[in-house]
Amino acid sequence: MQHAAATHALPEPQFAALVDALAADPARRDELNGLLREDHSLYDQRGAATVVRMRGWVLLALARAGVSDAALIFVLEELESGLDPYLVAAAARALRSYPSPSETFAPFVMRALTNIRYRDEPISFESYGEYAVAATGTSPVRELLATLAWLGPHAAGVLDEVRLLRKQGSGLPAKFRVDIDRAIQAIRGPERSDPPAAPACCGAPATVVERTSSLPPNERCSCAPIASTLLQDHDGATITFKEFFTGQPTIVAFFYTRCDNPLKCSLTVTKLARVQASLQAQGLAERIHTAAITYDPGFDLPERLRIYGKDRGVRLGAHHRMLRAVEDDDALREYFKLGVNFIESLVNRHRIEVYILDTQGRVAVSFERIHWDEQEVVARAVEVLNEGVPTEQTGQMFPALSDS
Amino acid sequence: MIVQLLINNNTTPATQFVSWAPAPCRIRMTNSAGAIPPAVSIRLSSASAPGGGAVGFRTGTTGPFTSTLILMVPTNGASVPFFTAGTVASSNFGDVRIEARAGATVVGSAPCMVRIRKNANTLKPPEKTRFIAAYAQLNNQGLGRFADFREMHRTGLALNQAHGAPGFLPWHRAYLLDLERELQAIDASVALPYWRFDQAAPNIFQLNFMGVSDNLGTVSFANNNPLQFWKTDGQTGVNRRPFFNTALAPPGLRTEAQTLALGTMYSQFRIMEGNPHGSAHSSFGGFISSTNTAPRDPLFFLLHCNVDRLWAKWQRLNSRFNSTVVNSFNNNMASPIGHRLADTMWPWNGVTGGTRPPNAPGGPLAPSPIVPAPGPSPRVQDMLDYHGVISAASNEGFDYDDVPL
Amino acid sequence: MAKKLKTAKRTAKVSSRAAMSVAKNAGNTAKQRVAAIASAPLAVIENDKDLQAMLAVLVNADEPIEVRLAALQALQAASFSVVSFESARGDYVAALRKAATDPNKELRQRVLGILMRDKDGFAQKKLLDGLKDPGKALVPPEKALQLLSYDVHADAYEAAREIVKKPPNVVAKREALRLLAADTKAAPLFEKVLRDKKELRANRQIAASALHSIDPDKFQQYARKIVLDKSDFDDIRATSLVALQQFGDDEALGKDKALLKSVKGFSGGKTQAKYKQTAKQFLSRYKP
Repeated sequence: MQHAAATHALPEPQFAALVDALAADPARRDELNGLLREDHSLYDQRGAATVVRMRGWVLLALARAGVSDAALIFVLEELESGLDPYLVAAAARALRSYPSPSETFAPFVMRALTNIRYRDEPISFESYGEYAVAATGTSPVRELLATLAWLGPHAAGVLDEVRLLRKQGSGLPAKFRVDIDRAIQAIRGPERSDPPAAPACCGAPATVVERTSSLPPNERCSCAPIASTLLQDHDGATITFKEFFTGQPTIVAFFYTRCDNPLKCSLTVTKLARVQASLQAQGLAERIHTAAITYDPGFDLPERLRIYGKDRGVRLGAHHRMLRAVEDDDALREYFKLGVNFIESLVNRHRIEVYILDTQGRVAVSFERIHWDEQEVVARAVEVLNEGVPTEQTGQMFPALSDS
Repeated sequence: MIVQLLINNNTTPATQFVSWAPAPCRIRMTNSAGAIPPAVSIRLSSASAPGGGAVGFRTGTTGPFTSTLILMVPTNGASVPFFTAGTVASSNFGDVRIEARAGATVVGSAPCMVRIRKNANTLKPPEKTRFIAAYAQLNNQGLGRFADFREMHRTGLALNQAHGAPGFLPWHRAYLLDLERELQAIDASVALPYWRFDQAAPNIFQLNFMGVSDNLGTVSFANNNPLQFWKTDGQTGVNRRPFFNTALAPPGLRTEAQTLALGTMYSQFRIMEGNPHGSAHSSFGGFISSTNTAPRDPLFFLLHCNVDRLWAKWQRLNSRFNSTVVNSFNNNMASPIGHRLADTMWPWNGVTGGTRPPNAPGGPLAPSPIVPAPGPSPRVQDMLDYHGVISAASNEGFDYDDVPL
Repeated sequence: MAKKLKTAKRTAKVSSRAAMSVAKNAGNTAKQRVAAIASAPLAVIENDKDLQAMLAVLVNADEPIEVRLAALQALQAASFSVVSFESARGDYVAALRKAATDPNKELRQRVLGILMRDKDGFAQKKLLDGLKDPGKALVPPEKALQLLSYDVHADAYEAAREIVKKPPNVVAKREALRLLAADTKAAPLFEKVLRDKKELRANRQIAASALHSIDPDKFQQYARKIVLDKSDFDDIRATSLVALQQFGDDEALGKDKALLKSVKGFSGGKTQAKYKQTAKQFLSRYKP
């Protein structure tokens, strides 16, 4: 079939057909990963529920085609911080198509169970956009328990937690007993004995997940006309991008106050406050700056920014600011390649993203999708700080942030 | 001769409030001119404005309260302790004064307020005005501290900290107290009123109070009612569609008598979470009828104030203030975290992650300038003896108009 | 004591079972069944049999509507007990979706409301389809807009703008404006509505509130102009006064002689008593 141009005007049935076609073509399967980028034009001007249907269908296509290393991060992201039952169920199913289970997946599955269990609902994967109107069939909890069974002995590290799911009172409902028992049996293996617990790994599989990417100085981009982009802070003061973000490394997180997933923006800003505390404790608060920039500059006016930050323990000052773009924020989106899209002025979906900018305001390190560790962010920021400014000592000159 | 009266052992304005529970006070002479040492007989009494509050007195930690009390107050300035407690609720601050007389002469007085949670349907206009002004200010068009209270009751892990298990009542008691103290930080004369949902409460559903719903469920407020600016989740306005005539009580709810008769054990009583509590919520369409959106409606806290009042009344009837008494609570070790006596409660405990939600909005429970209890991070068990019946130090500084000491 | 607890639980269970027995029995009158259901909402989740029975009542169009609504109310009441409701939630959501297309209008409306407050994609799609094609509408457009506004991330904005341009009725326009208040790009629309004295007052109120949210400085300017404008309606002038008093810059307001003079005029003369009170409150705050 002819692959239609992937534009945001694509009706949903055609989108579904496109996804099915890509999944069926081994030479084009990897394009499915691109369809999971939030900023893909296909998601522009779509409501959040539409985006859920679309992304879910892509995840299910990956489940049929097989999840590659490149796609794995999208799956784990959904398990770790997703709250939509359809997407979590689809991600749980997709994970089972990864070539081999890994003990590093187990904590993600358990996290997803904790997040979704009180929002469990029937799910239909039969056709695009279908919603279950009967309770038979699958659900995110059921899919997650099946994924635990798939993990088998690789889930040894979470066996005790899985056993707790059977517990009366605080465990899962009785209707899941069979699924839980199946998972426990699979974890214990044919000998029916508890396998030696692998050390619980809370991070993503390092070899396959590009959740953190670092760029050496000579590869960092400063090509977008960002320097003169005007920002406004929590006190209403205006400052250009160059004025705030050059001269020292800065840790930058993106968020917006109307985010309804507490595992994303609210937690991101709370963690930024912890990063600030850590910088303060290490005497680095003046040498490494922090910023939280909103995706929603029209709504997140200064007072809103300030209160949101303060409510989450963020310290606010000249070197640590909550910011919004004063006019057009396209330059910011382009510069950071932000993982976000919109319906009118409202965000319809975004990823978790935190960046470390170097002294010239260039992206040096990025943490995307999977929850980032505060101490790791601080450590990487210190590394960037210690890069220093290359001058005649190194014999190298790097392109400075251009004014335009 | 002048004497100084220290209510709650203090003179700061925010501390001049009492409830039904004994409040520690002191009296001392600050100007002994005309006094014959070593001490002067001073008579304490309560002077009430028409329709105002009244207080009683006693010297020690036990015994009845009387309308007057005679104390020997040293001329050297040493203070003498006594206790006062409200006997009639106030409407405004200062509608009751403690007066100290030497003979017929008033030598000292202190205005105060018997601040009590009352039936919202019978609040006087000034009480109503002050309450909604403070409430609207706490919301501050979505920018105020109310946003934290909304976040505490959002879908996800937050809701299971507080519902469907024994900790439901203690958690909501702490929730209400936290909010009430925030309101009192704006206007100390405010106490949370309750919506007595088993009775007709037509005065609540008026333009000048919780608003009037149209057929769609959109709530209108009077032009001078600041609740018209009420904003939650980035949206202004309240959606509330009563499924009953608001001039009457919602049908199908357990009456107070039926609720109190559920049983003498907490495990029996707590099924009131279904009816009348859940049934009161689902007597409407709109925000208040779903757990995720319920606190978006300002009526929510009035509803829950009545739930707490019912619990307080049940505790009073059955002497269920002591957490070590097994029938006072259903301390099931199989309950989820946050629902057992010794558990601290989210969000006030600041614990996040794991089986607790990822954030802890609002921080520690708001302090009171008057009482130390329940503390910034209360445990479930700390919420039972709200009145200080078992231990005076447990008094949390609130009372209900129809739940006496 | 443990025995007493067990006995108490058993007694409660028996009475819940009795209530459910009455509720499930189609031979009883609707009134009896409604009362039985209302007496023990948590009974619907105490065992799967009773839950399934109540769900069956909910979705069965042949059952008396009062009984179906009572079942819905009981289930919704039980849903507040989040932890205990866990086992029932999946079945409940499925039943709600089924009932969303029920022949009974009231039931459809309530069910869609419950689903939309949980931002259910199924309900959203149905409502949006109904706005695009009135033949598919499950509820009137004003109700659809109100329900869609529970999720600011829903793609209802285009439909809302169309309704503002060509409203099928005044309430629909009002709800469309309310929905659009979440979109910061709609600021020019709200300025226009606020300025237009021919516009319904309810809509001007919504515009005032929306503008205050999106562009507070601009709103303050408009609020001031409205207060100064003696030809504007008293109620909108009163709203603007309250807004200035609650959220304005106290220092600036206290120094604004023209404004205070205008408010003084508003506090007397032919102004309605309730608005005079508002004006007097304002003056007492900003004048010694």
